[in-house]
Amino acid sequence: MSDLDRQIEQLKKCEPLKESEVKALCLKAMEILVEESNVQRVDAPVTICGDIHGQFYDMKELFKVGGDCPKTNYLFLGDFVDRGFYSVETFLLLLALKVRYPDRITLIRGNHESRQITQVYGFYDECLRKYGSVNVWRYCTDIFDYLSLSALIENKIFSVHGGLSPAISTLDQIRTIDRKQEVPHDGAMCDLLWSDPEDIVDGWGLSPRGAGFLFGGSVVTSFNHSNNIDYICRAHQLVMEGYKWMFNNQIVTVWSAPNYCYRCGNVAAILELDENLNKQFRVFDAAPQESRGAPAKKPAPDYFL
Amino acid sequence: MGAQEKSQANANSMQRVKVYRLNDDGKWDDQGTGHVSVDYMERSEELGLFVIDEEDNETILLHRISPDDIYRKQEDTIISWRDPEYSTELALSFQETTGCSYIWDNICSVQRNLNFNSLNSETFHSMNSDLRELPPVELSTLPLILKTLTESGIADQMRLTELILNDQDFFRKLMDLFRICEDLENIDGLHMIFKIVKGIILLNSPQIFERILGDELIMDIIGSLEYDPEVPHVQHHRSFLKEHVVFKEAIPIKDPLVLSKIHQTYRVGYLKDVVLARVLDEATVANLNSIIHGNNAIVVSLLKDDSTFIQELFARLKSPTTSEESKKNLVYFLHEFCSLSKSLQMVQQLRLFRDLMNEGIFDIVTDTLQSQDKKLVLTGTDILILFLNQDPNLLRSYVVRQEGILLLGLLVKGMITDFGEDMHCQFLEILRSLLDSYTLSGAQRDTIIEIFYEKHLGQLIDVITASCPPKGIAQSVGESTASGAIVESTKPEILSNICELLCFCVLHHPYRIKCNFLLNNVVDKVLLLTQRREKYLVVAAVRFVRTILSRHDEHLVNHIVKNNLLKPIIDAFVANGNRYNLLNSAVLELFEYIRKENLKLVVKYIVDSFWNQLVNFQSLASIHALKVKYEQCLENSGTKSNVNSVDPRKRIDERALEKEEEDYFNEDSDEEDTASVSHTQRAQSQPVLSNGVAPSYTSLSPRSGGLVDYDDDEDDEDYRPPPRKQSETSEEDEGTLESLRLKRKVPSSKEKEPELVKKQRLGKSPKSRDNVFAALCSTLSQAVLPSKKNASGTQLTPRIADGSKSLGEQEEAANSLNSCDNSSSSDEENHREKEPTASRSCSDCMHGSSDNRQLSGEDCALIPPKSSPEMAVNGS
Repeated sequence: MSDLDRQIEQLKKCEPLKESEVKALCLKAMEILVEESNVQRVDAPVTICGDIHGQFYDMKELFKVGGDCPKTNYLFLGDFVDRGFYSVETFLLLLALKVRYPDRITLIRGNHESRQITQVYGFYDECLRKYGSVNVWRYCTDIFDYLSLSALIENKIFSVHGGLSPAISTLDQIRTIDRKQEVPHDGAMCDLLWSDPEDIVDGWGLSPRGAGFLFGGSVVTSFNHSNNIDYICRAHQLVMEGYKWMFNNQIVTVWSAPNYCYRCGNVAAILELDENLNKQFRVFDAAPQESRGAPAKKPAPDYFL
Repeated sequence: MGAQEKSQANANSMQRVKVYRLNDDGKWDDQGTGHVSVDYMERSEELGLFVIDEEDNETILLHRISPDDIYRKQEDTIISWRDPEYSTELALSFQETTGCSYIWDNICSVQRNLNFNSLNSETFHSMNSDLRELPPVELSTLPLILKTLTESGIADQMRLTELILNDQDFFRKLMDLFRICEDLENIDGLHMIFKIVKGIILLNSPQIFERILGDELIMDIIGSLEYDPEVPHVQHHRSFLKEHVVFKEAIPIKDPLVLSKIHQTYRVGYLKDVVLARVLDEATVANLNSIIHGNNAIVVSLLKDDSTFIQELFARLKSPTTSEESKKNLVYFLHEFCSLSKSLQMVQQLRLFRDLMNEGIFDIVTDTLQSQDKKLVLTGTDILILFLNQDPNLLRSYVVRQEGILLLGLLVKGMITDFGEDMHCQFLEILRSLLDSYTLSGAQRDTIIEIFYEKHLGQLIDVITASCPPKGIAQSVGESTASGAIVESTKPEILSNICELLCFCVLHHPYRIKCNFLLNNVVDKVLLLTQRREKYLVVAAVRFVRTILSRHDEHLVNHIVKNNLLKPIIDAFVANGNRYNLLNSAVLELFEYIRKENLKLVVKYIVDSFWNQLVNFQSLASIHALKVKYEQCLENSGTKSNVNSVDPRKRIDERALEKEEEDYFNEDSDEEDTASVSHTQRAQSQPVLSNGVAPSYTSLSPRSGGLVDYDDDEDDEDYRPPPRKQSETSEEDEGTLESLRLKRKVPSSKEKEPELVKKQRLGKSPKSRDNVFAALCSTLSQAVLPSKKNASGTQLTPRIADGSKSLGEQEEAANSLNSCDNSSSSDEENHREKEPTASRSCSDCMHGSSDNRQLSGEDCALIPPKSSPEMAVNGS
């Protein structure tokens, strides 16, 4: 068994890697991710997953429902970290799978894959708590900068974490973003990761989130038309039923964190596309309490103070 | 705020609040300042929030606490809600964080009771009447005790807590029973006791914690928690704590109180993180954390005030007779000591760090950094990071001293040292902090920067040249593989860190770095990275050039053009072919930037020199547009000679002010440059020169004519008029507006900049923290990091308005969490805990590797103006 396979097994048990292993993994991941495009091409069949937010045991449920990687080809739409208790294990498992099976799993960036956001919503603190220093956080956030911004499935389904941007009317315009940077406060890259579709908005509206925009049905129609795509698949917003179509099936939200924050009571969903792009939503619940494995932290064996 | 008011505030400052109300224009109206309390409403059993005016004792606010989840707590000092009676948003802005959390806890507990009553009013009453006393603690009554515990509602729990606390012997008896059950291997009894103890811990009462976490009981308590009925195997927590855990004493601690607290802290941490990791709710975790926090503060402050202890510590650290092994332990201890001092109040921690500095901690770290033991070296850097997070000036003031020069050198050396599999990103972070021109002040800054450029920059560049195959060789495939061995010699992450630091320097010391670059051909050398096999290094090199171009420095632009420095980038781009990857995007973005910023000289240079290569890519919009731009330039060049595009109206002052310095350097640098340029390069750049450069100089020179003459160029190294002004004002209030300040310092060529500066200064001018509005602004600006409105002063008010609605939850769509109980509590928790680090983290991430972009204001250029929110709305 290679080191990597061993690490994957370890991570599947929700045991974090050593710092040195994280470093090696990140360097390998960097070489793979640097070769990906801002609009990463993905072949069907593929299973699309929305936000995970560090809910490791629920992600294991996801793999139970959707099948293991590499048997199933996965596309994750970002927001792997923050809020849940296991951001470290969640992200490292996905990253290890990416390095092990680069063609069978695609990871794109969510708005939480950011230095600023992770310092507020938990990933930073979790790294500090689990490793005693923020080096792991530093390495992971450096990797975030390399993650692709969106994906295009069989030229027909555009996938992105948040939504559209007024600065982007064609997929080609995404190409000229140098994505290796912290998520900016505005502009195309920011919008792709932050925007939301909104019923009552016609055209573009200000987003209550403070970044990105709200966009209405007409925006989606013209985007889909000019880029010759069937629909947009995105995540970023909690939907209680796990998925939600909007604007006449022109855009769908997929949400994959059941019982979000361990208390929202929602179900989660993944979207399975077969080779002919036929859709099937698989809805699943949070992992039962008893499957939530062993204690999270091994205490330091010695202490001065 | 007058002095009189202030003295008054001390008396009752905890409850002192300002009341705000959102008016129809979306602005916050100040309703007055007073004292807040939670009390029964008149002739009613319902509880409400009262705010009584501090001057005239009038009631400013009377609000019945609602059972609905309408309250939001922002950062540490604001509670707001949509008030059904006033039908608008109201907000209380507290003077003190403790007051805020006190009232918040009150609101939450009132809500819990309200919800409990409405849901379970029958059980509530029946149970309540039963709960007059606890059953005696006996084996036979365990089920009853358990039932009482698990079936009691919130209100009962308070009563229960009281009863448990009133019975002085309750825990002693319970633990006696536990030991009996354990002796008799009565598993049912043990399971029952587990559940009882767990239930009692979940009552989350600080008084109960005080009792059960004390030295006498804690081991038994932990013992009873080994018998979790839901876990198949018995856990061995006690044996782990007694046999495996080592309490290390680097210096013997004599005070029994300190020792007891140290052990208790470890055990509470163990209880929280291991024994009950999956059981505890957030509130209980928070309470346990505050016990740990409080203990740490006591331990650190008792030790620091023990002068013999500190003296002995440093004496042993410095003594040549101390063994290597115990020195190591002393350093590890020192690190833990510094790290725990975060639990102290800011002022105390700062004083402690000053004392440690005077005792010579930086000398110790300097020794440590020279150790062969990598783990020890990294512990040394961790200590430095703790100091930097507290007050960067302590380390800076050391580094500028004679003995500190060694430390700076060791840090640079550490950055380029191979730490094998260990992470060592700390070095880069420390160097960045030391070289940060935005936060450094005059003399210190100059000294550090001077030493760095004199002694170390070359060192960094040498690492690059030594680890990349020379340019010529790489042209032929065979030889580049031959040099593969050298290529592997430096770890790519080290090269990547160097490149990152260089980009940082370009932004922070534009003037210094320019001289250096022009004199030493640094750009050329850094671009050797394009020869590396690792594509992320090639991309890093592209980003380096992009950062230089973002400076709009005409000398550097000329230098690049004249020396044909884009050749390696174009070559890398062409070699990358049609692959759509990060390299491809980065280069296209570079082209877009050059075109949009109207860097005509560069446009001409690129198309003149490389079009035969680029023509294959003209199906890409960016390449095509570049050619179109080129043709426009040619058409215009007959009539008008423009330099490199910069709009003279915006740039004239800045450029002119720098002109003197530029001229001075221009002379030798030009000679140096030409001398060092290879013949091929010169030949290639020749046509460009004749095309663009000559007119550009003539057009510039008259401008500089009658402008101010600066002869002290050292001082003005980073002189950029608008940012400079801002930095002066923002120094007045350290920390509070960190994020804004960084933004404001962004040197930008945008036309609206001056106006923006003015508006934001107005926004923050009430610098005293007493001013709630200022506090409101600052909290919001910190809470809402990804905020485009911060970047446009005109929108400051609406930002606050809509910020208040979703508060800490900004980043969630407000409605998405409405269905969740307490949905915001975890966020608030985060905010509260984050507070001390918030400003640091902002600056951290602004300095953070790749957002150099944002600092430089390049973003503006990346995004077409139409994407600004206002425009978009109008346009729709």
